[in-house]
Amino acid sequence: MTAPSPGRTGTTGSPSRRTETTGNPSRPSRPTGYTLLRTRSGRASFLLHRRSAAVALCLAAALAAACLAYLCVGDTFVAPGSVVDVLLGRPSPDELVVGTFRLPRMTVGLLVGAAFGIAGALIQTVARNPLASPDIIGVSQGAGALTVGAMTFGVTSYATLPYVSTAGGLLAAALVYVFAWRGGLHAGRFVLIGIGFAIALRAVTQLFLTKGDYLVAQQAKVWMTGSLNGAGWDAAAPVAWTLLVLAVPLCWAARAQRTVALDDATATALGVRLNRVRAGLVLLGVVLASVATGAAGPVDFVALLAPQIARRTTRTDRIPLVCSALTGALIVVLADLLARKLFEPTQLPVGVLTAAVGAPYLIRLIIRGRTGGKSA
Amino acid sequence: MEAIPAPPDPVGSPTPPPPSTPNPGPVALRRRVGWTAAAVVALLAAVLLSLAVGSRTIPPDRVLDALLHGGDDTTAGVVRSLRLPRTLIGLMTGAALAMAGVVMQGVTRNPIADPGILGVSQGASLGVVLAIAAAGVHTLAGQVWFAFAGAAVASVAVYAIASRGRGGASPVKLALAGAAINALLVSVISGVLTTRASALEEFRFWQIGSLAGRDQAIVGQMWPFLLAGTVLVVSVARGLDALALGEDVARGLGRNVAAVRIAAGTGATVLTGVGVAAAGPIAFVGLAVPHIARALVGGDHRRLLPMAALLGPVVLLLSDVVGRVIYADSEVPAGVMTALIGLPFLVGLARRRKVAA
Repeated sequence: MTAPSPGRTGTTGSPSRRTETTGNPSRPSRPTGYTLLRTRSGRASFLLHRRSAAVALCLAAALAAACLAYLCVGDTFVAPGSVVDVLLGRPSPDELVVGTFRLPRMTVGLLVGAAFGIAGALIQTVARNPLASPDIIGVSQGAGALTVGAMTFGVTSYATLPYVSTAGGLLAAALVYVFAWRGGLHAGRFVLIGIGFAIALRAVTQLFLTKGDYLVAQQAKVWMTGSLNGAGWDAAAPVAWTLLVLAVPLCWAARAQRTVALDDATATALGVRLNRVRAGLVLLGVVLASVATGAAGPVDFVALLAPQIARRTTRTDRIPLVCSALTGALIVVLADLLARKLFEPTQLPVGVLTAAVGAPYLIRLIIRGRTGGKSA
Repeated sequence: MEAIPAPPDPVGSPTPPPPSTPNPGPVALRRRVGWTAAAVVALLAAVLLSLAVGSRTIPPDRVLDALLHGGDDTTAGVVRSLRLPRTLIGLMTGAALAMAGVVMQGVTRNPIADPGILGVSQGASLGVVLAIAAAGVHTLAGQVWFAFAGAAVASVAVYAIASRGRGGASPVKLALAGAAINALLVSVISGVLTTRASALEEFRFWQIGSLAGRDQAIVGQMWPFLLAGTVLVVSVARGLDALALGEDVARGLGRNVAAVRIAAGTGATVLTGVGVAAAGPIAFVGLAVPHIARALVGGDHRRLLPMAALLGPVVLLLSDVVGRVIYADSEVPAGVMTALIGLPFLVGLARRRKVAA
């Protein structure tokens, strides 16, 4: 019994062997570098990319190390042993610094980075273009505009803001999609119109900033550049819940990613509703990006960088979700660690640092010409 | 002396009509004059609206009265000391940004070029922020030099990035390079502002692009730079026309392409810098106005530039007036209004097949 071709999502019917004849003959039945995991009955199966798994393990280890460093380093240095004590709930003199200040902030960074990483991976998969990340096509700005608007009207609780920002991000994405649609989506047109909406929505955000009083403006301004400053458990909870609730759809997304790589004719032959799959993936991505924006502001370029780094290290043909999430989390945690220490006592917003790294990367992408076209 | 053969008799010959048929010229001319007159009228109307409309609406005859004869009552005071400088700054900024847009679209041969999209405005902004926060410069005459420097660095960087690699400076690549530079500059600006909280309050209102609350003295400090920029771009108008035909043709016509680009680029930088230093980064005026002007008077830069200089202030002043009346108690800054008005333009442009390809 051979493995199903990676092009199949296994939606209907029995695991028949039809795919072997309809799929292209040049592709081996089981791609090299993959291990097939499946249940004994053969009802559920999963292709594990060995290199991806190894990279994911390394990333997880690096992330754990970064988190430990994050908890140790700050105004006062806390010994790693003491940090572990706090994490395990043992009594420790550093419980206030580590447990109350640094741990929630780190958790927010971790979750937000993961959410941005997955969001970028999904949207880039559908657009087949690394430039279509949520902060370039106006999703983050839409979430930002509505959130700052709500803040200036007195909504400051982290219980409501994530919903507001999700609504804003979805609205912006819908608008860009509608206006960029012209008998199909052209990547260049989509990016141009997205940039236009990003500019206009940033202006709207600025409008709300001038309307509010100075203290709100100061707070919103810091939030807008993407800051974890003062982020607590209440900011982490919505992102955590979203990731948890979306875990099942994300498993679907990981498989559906393969389908999106198909061309229209093959997809139709296989009975895949390509446009629905694409819409589903984008919807998931936009929700994740918006919720993350609501928690920490638009942390620039994480959604652009993380999937690309992940794709390159795993050397897969598609963008791996787990590795993107881990890379995103690693980027944000490290960037925030630097942002806290670099200009002490002033704490830079983490978004300043990610932009300082991400913008040159974007420039490199542009120079290498990976910008327009139907596929990149 | 030999008899030169007489030219063929025009009446009976089958030759095509002489090249300069009298008909299209005057009609096109009449059209141009008509549109120019209309633009002047629109500008006058915009100026009058800007002077008359606000939290306190002043009838036009009172406005004229206050302007011509002065007077000591509060109405005259409002017009002369508050609305007049604001209107003048709007006039000058609108003209500067619109001409800068024309020149940028001409130099890059790219319909989506605009000081805001290309990150040039943001470069000028960073210059001003550094002038305020680091150098402690608080007058426009001092800040404007920082704005020029920032705008120049940003425009060179964006153009250099976009023109490298495959396909040259395509619209999408220019917009992306602008977005990348914008993001970088914005992050530097917010870095500066978070470390210098005192600069934020001064910068907060300026940053959006607004004509409100500007010092009257700015008008007096602005005009030499505006004049210099205008002279520069007008002097290369014919060079830009040649450039529109393509680099090789321009060279064949005897144009020094590099010199045209440098002069035009310098002019656009000066115009953007002075506009941004006076009123903050105002979005999309440099994008939309050149397209309107081109639709009215055609692509000849000697006509395009004056038309843009007339229409830019109309758009900006009307945005400012709408922003003043849209909220009863407080104002919407002009920069926000132009961003909202200009967005449909970009969308329309992007939806044209030629641009997106």
